[in-house]
Parts: sequence; structure tokens; C-alpha cells
Amino acid sequence: MIELHDLALAAPDGRLLLKELALAVPRGGRQLITGASGSGKSRLLQVIAGTEQPLRGRVAVGGRRLWPGDGALAGAVEVGLAFARGGLLSNLSLGENIALPLRFRGLPTTEVAARVGAALDRLGLSSVAGLRPHALSASARKHGNLARVLALAPELILLDDPLEGLDSADRATALEVIRAWELDPGKTLVIAQEEPDPFAGAPWRRFAMPSPPLLLEVP
Amino acid sequence: MTFLARLGAPVRGFLEFLGDQVHLVLRTLRYGLLLRLDQLPIVGAQIRLQIRFTGLQALALVTGTALLLGAVTLIQAFSQLSGLGAENYIGVLMVLIILRELGPLLTAVLVIGRSATAIAAELGAMQLNGEVDALAAHGVNPYQYLLLPRWVGVLVSVFALVVFFDGAALGGGFLVAKLKYGVTFGFYMDSVRQTLSNRDFVATLLKVILFSGAITFHACHFGLGIRRSQTEIPQAVTRTVVTALVAVFLLDGLIAALFYF
Repeated sequence: MIELHDLALAAPDGRLLLKELALAVPRGGRQLITGASGSGKSRLLQVIAGTEQPLRGRVAVGGRRLWPGDGALAGAVEVGLAFARGGLLSNLSLGENIALPLRFRGLPTTEVAARVGAALDRLGLSSVAGLRPHALSASARKHGNLARVLALAPELILLDDPLEGLDSADRATALEVIRAWELDPGKTLVIAQEEPDPFAGAPWRRFAMPSPPLLLEVP
Repeated sequence: MTFLARLGAPVRGFLEFLGDQVHLVLRTLRYGLLLRLDQLPIVGAQIRLQIRFTGLQALALVTGTALLLGAVTLIQAFSQLSGLGAENYIGVLMVLIILRELGPLLTAVLVIGRSATAIAAELGAMQLNGEVDALAAHGVNPYQYLLLPRWVGVLVSVFALVVFFDGAALGGGFLVAKLKYGVTFGFYMDSVRQTLSNRDFVATLLKVILFSGAITFHACHFGLGIRRSQTEIPQAVTRTVVTALVAVFLLDGLIAALFYF
């Protein structure tokens, strides 16, 4: 599903974070990316999602070359990306945020409403569906990102620190959703997580970002 | 070598900027043509929002400014041409000064100050908050959802605002002509109509299309170029205003030379 060759990543200020990475995640694979804060985990996920360009190297997802290229998957693979922070449109309510990709995909209104309602219910967000992101708590925004992925039901799921900053109840809710994806052989799951504990052991394959990050090297 | 590099850097920067503008325009056009029928209501809602902000909410400002400008133009013209049969030149003055030049130009300046700044700041904030990446990652094409509605919204708004500006300026001018010289509405409008030509309509339409494109894509370029921190937002807004103003004045000069030189 995901093939990375000779990949190098740079921080926004141009400092090298990672080099010569070769990684392959098969269809239905479970890949954990661990590393300290600032090591480039989120950037690696965004490169795979096609929204960030790597410094160099080749990236293919679902057999389609993303980089070098324009990063567009163009419907080759359906991707769901849950951001660690942000990622929800501030001028839309939570419900509208979750519905937008489904509506843009052209799904019938009734199906969109059903999927959005189910995802909100599952993550306990139904009561705040009409609020905009700035009016939500940090954990509700994080769960909102998960709910959008849940409603999309994509083949490739990319989760950026999905448990970071959650209290025990919210953490349990998020873990329950992730465990369900883990059991689904049709889903390819990549999680970037600072602490690997919840996803230790089979079937997870683990890749650790360079530690300490290569922050002092200048390309 | 250092001297040559210093000399070449701004030229290279300018060419890169031009290249990015062309890239944004072509991609927006391309993805605009690829829009599916079922996506039109979503994009249409964004266009309506943009028209409401850029056009409707600026209407009072634009018509008020135009009314005063039309009145002041005739007061100044009459004060200089008093006794020389100035009333015979009312139409020429209004068409040459207001309809041909100041109408589209001042409307563009007001839209840059009010809307281009807002577009640059909004897109910059969206970029920093990961909203643009979230759209792209989940199959919502940012060219279709963000750029196209802003372009169409600004285009429709600038067109409507120029029409209202010209109408209000003519109204302001008429008030002065009527109060000062007792000019009738029929005489006033005949005078304007005799000076106006089809060329003026084509030139104004071309200005509306090019100005709205320049305003939108300058704002999008600088807004979407924000990557690191919120301190970049005011810088992007300033750059948008300065470069969009320069672009609009250049285009205005170019069109004037093309049509009237």
C-alpha cells in the first residue's frame, strides 16, 4: 500500500529530520511510527497523505506515485488523516466538517447524514455537533478528527498522535475505535505516536524516527 | 559573482512569483472545469459567501464613495471652467474621469483593502491550522473548494460594484449639475450617452476580469504561502495589498494604452 524509498524529510525551516528512509507497508498492514516530539512523525504522515513534499526520495501509495509528483492521489486510494492538532475547518460546525468530504464525494444526503450521525455517536460528540471547532474542547476536536475518518471509512488510515492529551475516558473511546480498525483486514493503519505502549506487539510493525532528531545537520 | 547573485535574486523571485500566479490560475481553471454536478451546490455556497462579503457588504461604502467623488469631480471642474460653457462638457468629464478610469480603479482599490486582505489572512490561518491539508487529504480539492469560489465571488462582486460605483458617481455629478446650473436629467444623460462608446464597455469589462483575477490570486498566493507562524499573516496581508495595487495600476495602464492610445 505504501512504499517509501530513499526518503529525506526537512523541518519547515529546512533542517534535516530524516534521511535514506526505506519503508514498505503492505495492504492491510499495521505500522507504528514512534519518536520524540519534533522528530518529524507528523511530517512523515503528511508526506504519505500527499499534502507535504519530502526533501527528496520516492513515495508511492496504492501503486500511484505521489512524490516526485504533485502529491495527488486522485481517487486511487481513499485516505483518512486524523490530525494531532487543528485540521477542522473553523467556519464549519463539527457536523459540517465531518460531512464535507462525504458531500464532496457525491454521496446521497441520507447516507451522509447517517454516516455523520453514527460517527458522532460512536465518539460521544452528538451534543456538540452544531458547534464550531473554536467552541469545542481540545479532546472533542481530537475526537472530531477521528470521527471524520470514521465517517469516511477509508482504506488507508493515518493517525497522528491520536491519544495525546486525552483523559482516561476519552482515551478509552479513541482506543475502542482504533481497535476496531485494527481488526478490519481491509484497513491499512499507520499511527504516529510518541509513546508506543497501546500498540505494542503483533500485528504492529514499528519504525522509530531518529533520536535525537537530525536537527543540527544542515543539508 | 556575489554582485551578480544579488542582482539576479529579485529577478528570479519575480519570475517565480509570476510562475506561481500562472500555476494557480491554470490549476483553478482546470479543476473548475472538472467539477461534478453534485459538487456545484457546495462550491456555489462558498461563492455566495464570498459575494456577500466582497460585494453586498461593501455596497454602501462603494456607492457612498462614488456619490461623493462624482459630486466633487463636477464641483472642481465647474470651478475651473466657469464661464466657458462647462455644462456642455459634463458628459465628457464624467465618462473620461469616472466611467473609464476611476470607477473600475477605485472599486479595485476598495476591494483590495477590504477583501484581498481578508482572503490572504483567512487562507493563511487555514494553512497554519492544517485546514488546507485536511481538505486535500480527504479528497476535497482546495482549488475547487477554496480558490475557485473566491475567484468567481470576487469577479461577480467587482462587476456589480463597478456598475453601482458608476451609477452613484453619475448620480452625485447630476446633483451638483442640477443644483449649480439647473441642468435637467435628460440633458445630463444625453451628454453622458453621446460620449460613451462600445469601446468603453469592453474596456471596463476587461478591467473587471483582469482586476478581479489579480486581486484574488495575489491574495491566494501570499495567504497559502504561509507555513510557519502566525507572525507571517500580517506580512502576507501587507504584501498582498502592495503587489495587488501595483498589478491593478499596471493592468489599468496597459488597458488604457491598448484601447485609447
